[in-house]
Amino acid sequence: MRRKAGLVLLAFAVFFTAMSPLTRWYAFPRLAKVPANQYQEAVLEADDPTLIDYGTMKAKKIDKVTIVQTLKGNVEASEKIEKADGDSSRDVVVWDALSYVQDADGKMVSKIPERYIFDAHSQEPVHAPGESVDGDPVKRQGIEFKWPFLTEKRDYEYFDAQARVTKPIHYKGERTFRGVKVYYFEQTIPWTKVPFPKTMPVKGITPKSLAGTGTTRWYTTVRKFWVEPTTGAPVYGEEIQRNELRGGTLLGERDKVTVFAGHVKMREDYIESTVDLVKSQRVLVLLLTSYLPWGFLALGMLLLALSLWLEARTRRANGSRPATSNDDDPEPEPEPKPARA
Amino acid sequence: MRALIAAAIGLAVALALTLTITAIGAPAGETSPEPLLTTVPEHP
Repeated sequence: MRRKAGLVLLAFAVFFTAMSPLTRWYAFPRLAKVPANQYQEAVLEADDPTLIDYGTMKAKKIDKVTIVQTLKGNVEASEKIEKADGDSSRDVVVWDALSYVQDADGKMVSKIPERYIFDAHSQEPVHAPGESVDGDPVKRQGIEFKWPFLTEKRDYEYFDAQARVTKPIHYKGERTFRGVKVYYFEQTIPWTKVPFPKTMPVKGITPKSLAGTGTTRWYTTVRKFWVEPTTGAPVYGEEIQRNELRGGTLLGERDKVTVFAGHVKMREDYIESTVDLVKSQRVLVLLLTSYLPWGFLALGMLLLALSLWLEARTRRANGSRPATSNDDDPEPEPEPKPARA
Repeated sequence: MRALIAAAIGLAVALALTLTITAIGAPAGETSPEPLLTTVPEHP
């Protein structure tokens, strides 16, 4: 009986010990993924920014500009891409995103839709029909919105949707943000000529009519992200952005006019909800990368030690009595009662 | 020999369980009915 128990313990010991690396290096890369049906919104604000008045074509200071950013996972589109790809094991996420900007009076300033397609596990971009920014087809390189799981302390390539270019986003060190250990990243996009948004805030003004005047739009930004490294999710973001119109007949005698200049920061209530969401997701990722693998390993070792101890006890018991035909049942046989005289 | 069989059973079950869980994966779910926002949500 004791020997059978030892063998059962050994089987469990091997089971848990094997589960440790299998969970970390086989299950985790396959199970950890961005869900295809994610829906997330974020509100960012710029206090006292400079904004162009398209009526007078002059820049003026206003109280506030608000950016509402929505990300919506399109499950049907992702399944269609997975089928077309022919690789059934590939998980693709399609995010339909909208950056809607409005001024302090609630009037629309700009509206930029995007379709971002990427691998659910690695966050590598996937190139498929529909990948676009503001209706223009693009072929992204690098990441956007989210870093990969288990973010490393290194620079990443980050896609800038306004300029449609990919530039490095530099790792600048560890920080603690609202009690969460984060990696701080910063990217600078130098002055770059960018297309006019397809949707303009004033009726009658279109990208085509603006381009016809010879006026061009230029943009620069410093992008800052505080990224929780286990999940790769930014818990906070800021952007110091400038947009200008340059040259052409539209500006008259002037060389350039500021379209927008401001320091955009995430609104406080969205910081709190993002931090809470990331904290909860972090536990799930840690479960697969740390808690379960180490727990399984410890349990496996404990059970192995227990099974070896049981085996040693069995052998000692067997050694102290004559060998029987049945080694599986090493329980000592009852000693014969002394015969009565 | 019995110890080897017990260890093989433990290993096989671990492999089978891991392969099954990863093969099943998580369901994709459905696209959210929520719209892409063109209004600023109020402070909660």
